[in-house]
Amino acid sequence: MLEDELTVSTRQREGVAIVDLMGDVTTFAEEKINQAYREVTTQGARQVLLNFRQNDSINSAGIAILIGIVTEVNRNQQKLAFSGLSQHFQKIFRMVGLAQYADIYQDEEEALKHLNSDPET
Amino acid sequence: MELSFPSELGYEVVARDAVAAFARCVGIDKNRIEDIKTALSEACINAIEHGNQFDANLRVMVTCKHNGDHLTVEVRDQGMKEYTAGGKPLTIEEKLAGLGPLRGMGLMLITELSDGAEFVPVSQGNCFRLTFSVLQPAICHHS
Repeated sequence: MLEDELTVSTRQREGVAIVDLMGDVTTFAEEKINQAYREVTTQGARQVLLNFRQNDSINSAGIAILIGIVTEVNRNQQKLAFSGLSQHFQKIFRMVGLAQYADIYQDEEEALKHLNSDPET
Repeated sequence: MELSFPSELGYEVVARDAVAAFARCVGIDKNRIEDIKTALSEACINAIEHGNQFDANLRVMVTCKHNGDHLTVEVRDQGMKEYTAGGKPLTIEEKLAGLGPLRGMGLMLITELSDGAEFVPVSQGNCFRLTFSVLQPAICHHS
């Protein structure tokens, strides 16, 4: 099996839990992403930003992982957002319906600006 | 262009990048190439997972042809199990409601991103053909 080299890390910035994803998001990503989400949730995150890297790829197995995160976010009454996606994957996220459940921002700066001005959060 | 790889997840990336390079060669728009990459990856994963049932001894073959108007990509497996598109894929609302597995959006993506996607009859295994319209003339100067 040719595993990819996805690196997942977490950090806090301006009250938002940021999960940085560096690498392709495929079936191999499941444990790493779920673990990062559990980590920030345990720390009390109310807003979670999944921050992608422009040149990386996401396949249908990766999308399934993200739908799983949406399920957990809804259950935990958190707010989820995505940033750093290429135009192509922004289109894909709209196509599969993920954009209905999480706002999509061009980059981290734009995401933080909107998340921090959202009266609901 | 033809290539063959073992039925192991991860090799779809090799096929994806090779076909993307070919598509660039024949002058396809870079945004369209992104569609091709995603659709082809999904077709290869289906061949590995469903057609060849993850049997690394079985191969997946990808052929890629450019005829001026279209790019045609065929993904063949050697599987003994015939697979076809199931029913209508579940929507994200249905998945979130727990009405089915979270996975299973690959064929939907393929259909949405290509101009044509169909199984074609072959003597053994499955052959999935994808077609993509090509608007630009060939610009590749490599032989």
